[in-house]
Amino acid sequence: MSINEKVKVIPCSGMGKVFGLMAREAALRTVGQLCPDKAETMCLAYVVTGDAEAEAGIDGKPCITIDGCPKMCSAKSVAIIGGDIKEEFKVLDIMKEHKGAQPGTATELTTDGWTIVDKIAATLHERVQQIHGEGR
Amino acid sequence: MAEELKIGVVSCSGEDCLGGTISRLATRKMLDEVRPDKTVTICLPLFLAGGQEERMFAKTFPTIAVDGCNKACAKRATEKYSGKVNGTILVSDIIGDTVSESAALSTRDVTAEHQTMVDKVAAEITKQFDAILNANSKNQAGSTATSCGCSCSGGCG
Repeated sequence: MSINEKVKVIPCSGMGKVFGLMAREAALRTVGQLCPDKAETMCLAYVVTGDAEAEAGIDGKPCITIDGCPKMCSAKSVAIIGGDIKEEFKVLDIMKEHKGAQPGTATELTTDGWTIVDKIAATLHERVQQIHGEGR
Repeated sequence: MAEELKIGVVSCSGEDCLGGTISRLATRKMLDEVRPDKTVTICLPLFLAGGQEERMFAKTFPTIAVDGCNKACAKRATEKYSGKVNGTILVSDIIGDTVSESAALSTRDVTAEHQTMVDKVAAEITKQFDAILNANSKNQAGSTATSCGCSCSGGCG
């Protein structure tokens, strides 16, 4: 990757479960606040439609996927289109480190939920920095 | 007894713009508050990553696609993998192109102004939702009345 190329951080954005919302919020925090100069996101829905512009934005590009559920829509969809997946995060796995936490609903997160989102975003940020470092 | 109709509301994922966030929140409002017993949804990306169960979605339920921007991913993906949608909402038509195309919003930063946009979009979804329900009720009543002419739900045949 070139020094100026941004890492694609692509969440599943699941509508039905809180873990999808957490994936989305972690991605938005990473690309919007933590490292906007090194990372950007794309709508997974746009990727899924098979649009040529979306495919070109992913094909061969360094990507991090974040999935809320075991169906792994983000990782699978990005892989199909040829994204260079550097890391696959699973919110469900991360939740195992927070037993008993009540993150909220698919509509709204609780304080617990936001705390975990911020931790995921910090991990994403760290990984983006590493990937960018590898590309130099 | 006729099976109770549910309607699928399929929202775009909405990472590219504010319109996407508003789409998501309006769809969640349908599920949580407006028509909780009659609304179903799925994650749009499941159409690609998922199996037949997901792709049967729009064949089983009438659907309304809710899109944040004119890429219309929800409508295009639903029609590509499942079948024609029964209704479409383009958020930018309701809140304006410029606002809709501004940066995606975290739910942490939703203001009263954004909530008003969500309410407007949810109201439009509700309008289409109820029109589909009403049309379905009329169809069911019509088919019952014509099945044997005595409104017995076919039990006297």
